[in-house]
Amino acid sequence: MADERKLILETKDMSIHFGGLIAVNSFSLKVYEHEIVAIIGPNGAGKTTAFNMITGVYTPTEGEIFLDGQKINGIRPDILTSHGMARTFQNIRLFKNLTVLDNVLIGHHVHKEAGFFSTVLQLPKAAKEEEEMRKHSLELLEFVGLLEYKDEIASNLPYGLQRRLEIARALATRPKLLLLDEPAAGMNPTETEALTEFIHEIREKLNMTILLIEHHMQLVMDISDRIYVLEYGKEIAHGVPKEIQSNPKVIKAYLGEEDDE
Amino acid sequence: MKTDLNKKYLPLTILCIIVLFALVILIDPVGPLEGKIDPIFGLYVSRIIKISAVYAICALSMNMVNGFTGLFSLGQPGFMAIGAYTCALLTLTPEAKQAVFYLEPIAPFLANIHAPFIVAMIVGGIFAAIGAFIIGFPVLRLKGDYLAIASLGFSEIIRVICVNAQSITNGANGINKIPTDITALLIFVVLAVVTIFMLVMMKTSYGRALLSIREDEVAAQAMGINLFKHKMIAFVISGFLAGIAGAMLASIVGAIDPKQFMFTLAYTLLLMVVLGGQGSISGSIVGAFIVTIAQEVLRFVDEPINIGPIHYPGISGMRMVVFSILLMCIILFWSRGIFGNKEFSWNRLFGKKAKSKLKKEGGEA
Repeated sequence: MADERKLILETKDMSIHFGGLIAVNSFSLKVYEHEIVAIIGPNGAGKTTAFNMITGVYTPTEGEIFLDGQKINGIRPDILTSHGMARTFQNIRLFKNLTVLDNVLIGHHVHKEAGFFSTVLQLPKAAKEEEEMRKHSLELLEFVGLLEYKDEIASNLPYGLQRRLEIARALATRPKLLLLDEPAAGMNPTETEALTEFIHEIREKLNMTILLIEHHMQLVMDISDRIYVLEYGKEIAHGVPKEIQSNPKVIKAYLGEEDDE
Repeated sequence: MKTDLNKKYLPLTILCIIVLFALVILIDPVGPLEGKIDPIFGLYVSRIIKISAVYAICALSMNMVNGFTGLFSLGQPGFMAIGAYTCALLTLTPEAKQAVFYLEPIAPFLANIHAPFIVAMIVGGIFAAIGAFIIGFPVLRLKGDYLAIASLGFSEIIRVICVNAQSITNGANGINKIPTDITALLIFVVLAVVTIFMLVMMKTSYGRALLSIREDEVAAQAMGINLFKHKMIAFVISGFLAGIAGAMLASIVGAIDPKQFMFTLAYTLLLMVVLGGQGSISGSIVGAFIVTIAQEVLRFVDEPINIGPIHYPGISGMRMVVFSILLMCIILFWSRGIFGNKEFSWNRLFGKKAKSKLKKEGGEA
């Protein structure tokens, strides 16, 4: 591991207990700049719980989380977003009744500097900010290939494009770290392939660091630089895709039961 | 608003505004016309129109919280009461106050203050906004039904205070002799300003942030939106608007008492908002006019009617039964209201629909 790279996200012995249940046990993770890291594991392994701790939805019972060197335990999700962390959801959570453009514009609101009254009164500075927001949103929509749908209501988009829009909305907050919660869930093979390409493109063109949870093995193996494997809340392996594929523990826990998965 | 002021229809829009403006002046002559011509439809109609316009402001204030931000709040009567009492106490002359507060003398600090209506209205709005800010801290942490119950409770607390703070509010007797010099023109100007303010606000980043909270709180927070701060913005503005509406109501009616601000008022306002369409500014205005006017028109069901040999004795309160049935029908069959969450536009009125790219291309996945 090239340790001289900049560490974007680090968790140290992160654990969470729900009553007597230990959902995630002493999980340590490192994500370096420009890396794509995946967390995999069987259902109920604690992947989403780990994700929720990183994004501030839950506060870890023990351990520490650092974003870009800053400790972020228990900080509210909206503040984390303003510090450069953006996420998508396992079950798409778009602003369904708003247009595609509005969805992306809302992602920009976090960096708005003008106050409420100067914005509503359209004072020059606020108006300029609003205009820049719009311009940047349109650029972003062009990048993700949704520009032609900008005036559509978000829920009218086909599933694959809704995923794309959710990622675009997250990118609008100008994150340092993008977290994707099962981005390929419910996608057909063609859509998954397009998504794989899309995630690569985000990393290359926007110089993004990405942490993702995924069930779809093909996608994970194609895309990830490193993989962490969780089982019953504990890390059982981590390494590059090749190592993970041949790790007997992982095969036993995850891949062993079904040959094709 | 910009999308609405389609160039093609601009002359039509201007014409409508001029006609409305002329009607407002004819309904309630002001300035050089005052006293020279009679209100065109008589005082009764002119008063109903004025009250409708005030309720339109209330409905807009409620829509701000319920329709745009997606919070189920029923605190409006409380804010209106704050605005109405503030306005009444500020516009009454010291002599009139002595006459009104005959059971128990007015609190000394209130006895001699006096202000013109405009000032009283704005102070009323500010007090209501302060009330909203204070009450917002506990209640905005609640969601859904819990928020509705808590805000309704707040509204009832204000009413109970009005009943019991004898030396300030004159208790259950209420306050009368309030100067009724408010003109329809002023009310409609305020309504226009409020409408434009809301239309502009909803097009800005803050308006979109409120909408995102309505759509999905979890996602909105993940997008970096401070839920509490934005809910508070909506709640305080809504309180301010309800406060000025309450002040105007006091000045139209000339007398206020705590019973006017019962929780049933919250349901009437809710009916206006839902009928017009939650999340539609033009909808709230139309809803307020329909409900207020219908309440007057339906007065006949409270009175005895003879249709040939059939004698209907007239049951007072029957109107409200009709209204409740109406509300139920709307919820059951037409839950999106007249405008849904869209705004009035000439294009829609004349049956032109915006084309969807998706539909044109068929079900391309």
